[in-house]
Amino acid sequence: MSHRNARQATLCGWGFISPWLLGFFSLTLFPFVASLYYSFCRYDLLSPPRWVGGENYRQLADELVSGGPLAHALWNTGYFALVSVPLSIALGIGLAVMLSWPVRGQPLFRTLLYLPSVLPILATAILWQWLFDPRQGFVNHTLGLLGLGQPGWFTSVEELLVGGTPGSKDALILMALWSTGNFMVIYLAALGDIPRSLYEAAQLDGASRWRQFWHITLPLLSPVIFFNLVMGTIQAIQTFTQIYVLSAGQGDPDRSLLVVSLHLFLTAFQDLRMGYASAMAWLLFVLVMGITWLLFRTARRWVFYQGAVR
Amino acid sequence: MNVSRWQLATLVVIGIVLAALAAVEGRRPVPEGRQEVVFWHFWGGPYRPVVERIVERFNRRQARYWVRAVAMPGSNLDTKMFLSVTGGDPPDLINQDKPIVADWAQRGIVRPLAELASDAELEALDTWLYPPAKKLGSYHGTLYGLCNGLDVRALYYNQTMLADYELQPPKNLEALDQIAQAIAPPDATEPRAYFGYLPDPRRLWAWGIVFGGQFYDPATGRVSADDPRIVQALAWMGSYSQRYGSRQVAAFRQGDQRLPGSTFPLFGPYDPATQQRRYGNYALVMDGQWRVAEITRVNRAALAAGKPVHQYGVVPLPTPAGGRQQAGWVNGNFFLVPRGARQPAGAWEFMKFWSGFGGHEAQAAQACAEGGWIPASPQVVTEPVFQSYLNQNPLMKTFVELAKSEHQVPIPALPVAALYRREIEAAGQAVMYRGADPETVLREVTQRVQARLDEVRHASR
Repeated sequence: MSHRNARQATLCGWGFISPWLLGFFSLTLFPFVASLYYSFCRYDLLSPPRWVGGENYRQLADELVSGGPLAHALWNTGYFALVSVPLSIALGIGLAVMLSWPVRGQPLFRTLLYLPSVLPILATAILWQWLFDPRQGFVNHTLGLLGLGQPGWFTSVEELLVGGTPGSKDALILMALWSTGNFMVIYLAALGDIPRSLYEAAQLDGASRWRQFWHITLPLLSPVIFFNLVMGTIQAIQTFTQIYVLSAGQGDPDRSLLVVSLHLFLTAFQDLRMGYASAMAWLLFVLVMGITWLLFRTARRWVFYQGAVR
Repeated sequence: MNVSRWQLATLVVIGIVLAALAAVEGRRPVPEGRQEVVFWHFWGGPYRPVVERIVERFNRRQARYWVRAVAMPGSNLDTKMFLSVTGGDPPDLINQDKPIVADWAQRGIVRPLAELASDAELEALDTWLYPPAKKLGSYHGTLYGLCNGLDVRALYYNQTMLADYELQPPKNLEALDQIAQAIAPPDATEPRAYFGYLPDPRRLWAWGIVFGGQFYDPATGRVSADDPRIVQALAWMGSYSQRYGSRQVAAFRQGDQRLPGSTFPLFGPYDPATQQRRYGNYALVMDGQWRVAEITRVNRAALAAGKPVHQYGVVPLPTPAGGRQQAGWVNGNFFLVPRGARQPAGAWEFMKFWSGFGGHEAQAAQACAEGGWIPASPQVVTEPVFQSYLNQNPLMKTFVELAKSEHQVPIPALPVAALYRREIEAAGQAVMYRGADPETVLREVTQRVQARLDEVRHASR
């Protein structure tokens, strides 16, 4: 390729990626850097930001220590992420393994189980609100027929892990599990990559189905599980839309659905405290980075790559 | 397929032109010689045609201005409006019902009416508006918003249900408690189909005022959510959760507001097996005047279908000993002109036309009758059109009477009103759904809101 052609090709390449670059610099990188600056300012979007040093971070610490809304938000976010992510991984693997079995109607089952993850979040949220309504909903009606207790679901401040009765966060987790199809598809693809020869060798050695799953399937799925764990955790910590819809935009009832992203939104756009909200966004960012770093540290112990030398 | 550069460029240009055409499609052109006034509002459902008719009437009578109404979801209209001002492209006029006048006035987002109205008009407005309507639009004694309709709360009751139980509508708070317990005895073991009465945790604003409390002390300039009367009101609300259990109260109370398409909780469904109408969720419920139109509509439809109906009544919020009569929390709809509006004069003309100020009382009376709204001025109420509407809808008379009361109090006009509202509603839920101590919760609310108020005041110095 001549020098001129190479230059033209380079220019052409930059031209093609320029829409993305423009978007990235103006809509991602600039707000990212600007929010760090604003987090040290008092800023209401209208008047120019005024430098206040670490005041916003001191107030964040105060709000946390005094048990204010931020403490509720962090607890709720942690509860949701800690319960929903492992459950969605377990469910995703379970469904993927079952969908890989050569049974009649396999494509139909795959479509049906993937379908919820492509439905609009808003429609899904409203649908589950109906299903979980404590007095008229299908879920409690069925539980009643079975002679089981009838929780308050989205109307209740209770927590299954703390008091033993499901409440709003547990309902949200069940709703999140319903749309685990995205992860399931990745597991399904990964299952197809596991060499059949490994299973054949195990069968010759007399390994049961369970031992095959535990010693072949799971270890060889571990890179994908790791990917889904990291992405799922980040997504769970940033969940906003369905919570906004389900909690009247306020984290109702009694802040049991107030998560950090919702608290941040209300602080920025209702209380007009963009500086404080930016500090909160950075707290969230550091939290996500810290968790991701921890996950990468632990990955060495349990993630196996085919052909990797240990 | 080979596509030349020119063909590609032509396709791109056609795409852009089509996109631009799609963007302007459906917008009616502004008549020649008229100036466009862009008006944002949140009115949807059955109210939207009413608003469209008001706009049409205005546009028909005008030679100078042309109002273009843009309906938006009410849940975040305030955020959109705020961002439009920040971005330098605000509408000319907005109709809003959230307590944001003080927040926005403090930050200079909205223009005081003194910049739009003449001195004579301002002076006239002072007596023209009902006292609550004036309070709703004011901040630090300056009028920023022009109220076009008040939202007043009172206690609706299912007259048929009370008669079945041989009960009378409550005259005081003690009677309300007795009715609640007579209809739903606390010791019942069966799951309940309905209650006599359950307080709504969001409505501490109303009960706090009825109990004689004040949420802000203008004398000291301090937030006073921990006023002993307000604590007493919240403790009374919490007593219902102690009696019936937080979970059951939450299941009823949260469900009322949450489910899409939920109807007025006093309405009960028709039971084809018994050919009777069942009771609704409650025998009594606090709600606003907009339910009057809903009751009329629902009963009319049921009668037309040959189904039985229940009769409903309304009384002012009952008071405890030492409480305030004719009291409650008032809200309303008001117009605001944002800073940066291109047609403030046109916006002012339309505000006057809808609210009825400046000789437009008959038109406003017609609008209020069509929308089932409480006028912002006694001069609109006395119009024959509205009087005729009141005679046809006697339940509205109670609300109109309440609108005159000085004990109808809005959320304090503070530049932290949005936060204060959220905090008070959360306090109600903490007590009713979690069994928190009212005094402790309200003390914490006071501290948080006061700290934020101090910060805003300090920043504006």
